[in-house]
Amino acid sequence: MEKDKSTMIAMLQLLRKYNFKETSELFKKEANIDESEIAELKPSSTEVESVLSAYKDDWEPTRYDKAYTELQKFVESSLDIYKHEMGTILYPVLVHMYLEMVYQNHSEEAQSLLEKHSRGIEDYYQTELKQLSQITKREHLAENELANTFKTQQFNRRISRDTLSILKRFLGEEKPNNHLLMKIVSAHVNFDIYEGVARSKTQIEATAGSLIGEASRTDNKAKVYYGLLKEQDVGPVPIATEDEDEEVGTDGDYRPKKKKTKKDNIFSKKTKSDPNAPSSTRMPLPNLRDIDKMEKRKAMKEALKRVTLGPDSLPSICFYTLLNSVNTAICAEVSEDSSLLSVGFSDSTIKVWSLVPQKLKKMKDAEQLADVLCESDDVLVRMMDDKTAETVRTLYGHSGPTYSLSFSPDKSILLSSSEDGTVRLWSLHTWTCLVCYKGHIFPVWSVKFSPHGYYFATGSHDKTARLWATDSHQPLRVFAGHHADVDVVQFHPNSNYIASGSSDNTVRLWDCTTGGQVRLMTGHKNSIYALTFSMDGRVLASAGCDGRVLLHDLAQGHLVAALSSHTAGVYSLTFSRDGTLLVSGSLDCSIKVWDYTKLYDDLNVEDANVSHNPDVKTCTDTYLLRSYGTKSTPVLTTHFSRRNLMLAIGKFDANLS
Amino acid sequence: MSDVDSMMYGTTLSTESMKVIAESIGVANLPDEAAKDLAEDVSYRIKQILQDAIKFMRHGRRSRLTTHDVDHALRAKNVEPTYGFFAKEHIPFRFASGGGRELHFTEEKEFDLTELVSTAGAQSWPKLPLETNLRTHWLCIDGIQPTIPENPPPVSKEVQKLESTDPISSKNSNPNLGKPGHKSHKLRNVETVHVKQLATHELSVEQQLYYKEITEACVGADEGRRVEAYQSLSADPGLHEMLARMCTFIAEGVKINVVQNNLAILIYLMRMVKALLDNPSLYLEKYLHELIPSIVTCIVSKSLCSRPEMDNHWALRDFASRLMAQICKNFNTTTNNIQTRITRLFSHALININQANLNSLYGAIHGLCELGPDVIKALVIPKIRVISDRIEVCFEGVNSSSIDRNAAGHIKTLLIKSVAPILKTIRSAPDVVEEYEQEFGYIGPALCTAVSKNRTTPAAPISSGNIPVTNNTNQQVAVNNTKTIPPKVVLGGSGITAGTTISSGQKYVIVSRNPATGAVQSQHHQGQTVQQVQVQSLPSTAQVQQQPQVQPVQVQQVQQMQVQQVQQVQQMQVQQVQQVQQVQQVQQVQQVQQVQQVQQVQVQQQPQTIQQVQVQKPAQGTKVMVVGMPNAASTPLKPQQQVIVTQNSLEQFTESMDVDSDR
Repeated sequence: MEKDKSTMIAMLQLLRKYNFKETSELFKKEANIDESEIAELKPSSTEVESVLSAYKDDWEPTRYDKAYTELQKFVESSLDIYKHEMGTILYPVLVHMYLEMVYQNHSEEAQSLLEKHSRGIEDYYQTELKQLSQITKREHLAENELANTFKTQQFNRRISRDTLSILKRFLGEEKPNNHLLMKIVSAHVNFDIYEGVARSKTQIEATAGSLIGEASRTDNKAKVYYGLLKEQDVGPVPIATEDEDEEVGTDGDYRPKKKKTKKDNIFSKKTKSDPNAPSSTRMPLPNLRDIDKMEKRKAMKEALKRVTLGPDSLPSICFYTLLNSVNTAICAEVSEDSSLLSVGFSDSTIKVWSLVPQKLKKMKDAEQLADVLCESDDVLVRMMDDKTAETVRTLYGHSGPTYSLSFSPDKSILLSSSEDGTVRLWSLHTWTCLVCYKGHIFPVWSVKFSPHGYYFATGSHDKTARLWATDSHQPLRVFAGHHADVDVVQFHPNSNYIASGSSDNTVRLWDCTTGGQVRLMTGHKNSIYALTFSMDGRVLASAGCDGRVLLHDLAQGHLVAALSSHTAGVYSLTFSRDGTLLVSGSLDCSIKVWDYTKLYDDLNVEDANVSHNPDVKTCTDTYLLRSYGTKSTPVLTTHFSRRNLMLAIGKFDANLS
Repeated sequence: MSDVDSMMYGTTLSTESMKVIAESIGVANLPDEAAKDLAEDVSYRIKQILQDAIKFMRHGRRSRLTTHDVDHALRAKNVEPTYGFFAKEHIPFRFASGGGRELHFTEEKEFDLTELVSTAGAQSWPKLPLETNLRTHWLCIDGIQPTIPENPPPVSKEVQKLESTDPISSKNSNPNLGKPGHKSHKLRNVETVHVKQLATHELSVEQQLYYKEITEACVGADEGRRVEAYQSLSADPGLHEMLARMCTFIAEGVKINVVQNNLAILIYLMRMVKALLDNPSLYLEKYLHELIPSIVTCIVSKSLCSRPEMDNHWALRDFASRLMAQICKNFNTTTNNIQTRITRLFSHALININQANLNSLYGAIHGLCELGPDVIKALVIPKIRVISDRIEVCFEGVNSSSIDRNAAGHIKTLLIKSVAPILKTIRSAPDVVEEYEQEFGYIGPALCTAVSKNRTTPAAPISSGNIPVTNNTNQQVAVNNTKTIPPKVVLGGSGITAGTTISSGQKYVIVSRNPATGAVQSQHHQGQTVQQVQVQSLPSTAQVQQQPQVQPVQVQQVQQMQVQQVQQVQQMQVQQVQQVQQVQQVQQVQQVQQVQQVQQVQVQQQPQTIQQVQVQKPAQGTKVMVVGMPNAASTPLKPQQQVIVTQNSLEQFTESMDVDSDR
């Protein structure tokens, strides 16, 4: 019986080899139904017999080892220019060999195969290989997420035409083991062919590392409107008066001149229409209320006093250290106007601090509110109860650690996401929970308010990112496509797109209006925990567990720079308000300041096109301006105030010192 | 890839474990097949759960896995978490074996709940966790990181250590990271210049000011400021850059003040060394070549004070010995052999005991005793006989002076105190006086009593041995062997001033034996003549006005190397010195730019009073701050010392001491 079955499958293989797909399918079906018929299908010709015997041998686990060793030898002996590109197929081949062997219950041999050959695989794949090695039984295969990802998803490889033809020639050679390799390669590896010279090792390494290989060109073909929206008119910006000038400080000598140029910038930005900007009606956005306009005017006024940062004028950093909370504090968030700080704790609580002299007040209750005159100018102030003023308030409601927080742009609302699978909306007027959004059933790792308010995005352990509106308990869009947890989400400054970073080591950009994926960006070697868009909306910066900061050009989805200097996970990335500096905060107790202006100038973003991959800037030393170490304090959040003062929040860990 | 990594592949729990677990839940004789299958499956599940738990750990921005993470991972897999396994710290596994089986387990104590609740006292309840706090500081200001305690030291101790042991490696490290005072673009432009130097020796204006303030405070008159200065030296993280100058300051200061027999300054300088040693962010090895000679000088110098019959220079020797022991403990390596060299140095002093100065002898013995019981055993005990012969001469000799007798007394006390605990261990009871006398000579009987006393009170603290100086903080080392009520000079204290609280910080009290003199300084000038001294580099308060009520003042002038001026110093006997004012000027000879215009110090002295010490200020009227290169042979030391110990403050001080002891 066993023999019959093997023959059948050998036959199937033969059909497959000559690409009779339909027939083989049919054959498979028939074979399953009628066994006697298959028994009659005895091989008659010697050629077929040899093929069959060859395939029979494939069942022997030693064959895999031999086949892999041959492939490895071939790769190593090939010409240097093709070597590295060819080498990229080793990893998927090894993975699938392992999975097949496990499937055939040769787990011990599979383990030894993995152990023997994992040394030859790039370092950044080792984690996955180790995770893979946990699978030792056929039953595990079905439920293991990683195995499923590999099974369902073809491993994508960009490869030059020349390299591919050489590889094909090798695989086509009449060697007994090559059929096995051919089978695996054709079934599980997708080649994205391009014309031109084969890439070098560094070029390949730059974009490699994700679970599903590299992004193919088709992934990033859609047009992305990365420009900024034309802001709604908020009325005249009050010109700073003289006395305010004096208040600014003693160093007034150079201020007037600088202010003038800045003012020009701000106004010119408003009038110029960006060809890459989406139309303002593409994504329905809430209208500005009076209070929003007031806030905008205030922000603009503040922006006029902004310090221009650069390599010569580095920012000042005000560091807030959280004490007695090393194992409890998880996330921190500063409101846009830098007046509030919220910290999420593992004991499900959220604390909100006021960073300004104004204390946190509660709204009066309904009876007292009735007494407040609605016409008075300071009605907002009168609504608040002075007796309840406090500098720190605690919000209770979640039943699991709070992993992410986000203030609404008008800082009246705080969103929090938690391990309990819910997102809660808190009013910062009444200091109570108003809404509980239940959609994700798994822990929600990240929540982010849209820069225009109303919408928010979440990312969860359930591998989806979702778009919500504050007034709906159902998500508006579910962005599915990641192969592992969505660890972080970020809104594009024009609110039309959402970027998501995942544990499958990819960054994706989703269109809010269509719900489709418009960009797939690879290059990270580990989970991604921080995302931020540049001030002009063109460049997306991402960072994560591998300690590297990557910059992607959204126009084509290319990786344009990889900055590696951190030694531990990076959890915070921020551009300065004038877009000149990029700041990264990490668990290695340091904050690093990068020269984004110089980097952007070096990028030549206009040259790039879909087929031509630009060189990835990796010379960290040129762009790293400064590194500030903290005293045993991992950095949770970095933030720039409207005047470009930098705030950073960290939790002191006495164990580190 | 290491072996540990490769062990990741295909590790499973043993089938024995499965069987043991099965037994524990009542399944006896689990078949091997089943156990193997189970082991594989359980291993797989555990790995999966841990893998998920790591996700929770990473999202918690931590690098340490907690039981909560595992709980959350279980919950995400829809498995009931294992409740009650919360622990803040990791729980160690215990190991037990027996009957051919090995077992790892965690210890679980049983608590009687009723007892826990009923004894609602404060002790039994677990402590409430501390409230989360927010603390603000400047991580950097305009791109420059201030060196404040909240920020990490600009050069970590490891880097300093590396720099001192392997200077080439530090050359390659990135110079512009986190370093204050330099703009990075500047560094880039002048990189070629910077590479040549191992360390930049330029101090910012703030650092220069700090250096000036600190050095002045350390040797100045104000005890309160001095204490603050020591505290700053022992805690400030940003001192690395000026460490070279500090050490030079100390070394030069000791050189000059030993010649001057200026005990107080020597004490202050030793306290500076101690503060620097205590600073956790400094690594002093690079500067030991300057510090050790200074410290050794303070231990074995023939004379440290001008009135050996009155001043307590013994305390300084003790203090410096402990410092030396601390240095040996901290920095001794097989390459520098500090301890060996120091031991050899001290034992050299014991070779020719009969000719040796008693003070030096005392210092050498004390220095050896501090180095630990082994040193005492090997080097001190064999010499006791010779030493005791020597001091016998001093005690019994006809023409021995009181100074000699006093010194001999000190040596005797010291020997008895530090040798007795060691003798106790190497000699067995009973202690026979005759044996001791035969072996150790003159001090044999005293030693015998001490040893036998030591045996009866085993808990008595052993004051000798390799005790680091830090242990002696808060401890009052009072060397008091006179019957008179002594005035005291605070030798080291972190209390505000003498007379205020003394409960905190280290405190060394030197007891002078002259009740009438509260001053440490004791240079006797017989002079009422006008002295003309030409000085350079004047300290700030150049015009020193005498307070009217202070009557006799002694002015001590440091002899200058270049100023070849014959000073007629006539000694003036002052009976009741209440205030001593010293104006010391040490000039920096080598650095031309620092040579200020020649000043004239006019000191008019009239019998019994000095009305005015008039010093012409430098033209610019500012404090002259000389920052010498550390390589330069000398650094200006121009401390202006005012050792003011008035009778009143002494009384206050003694009162406060009493109050303190009452507590």
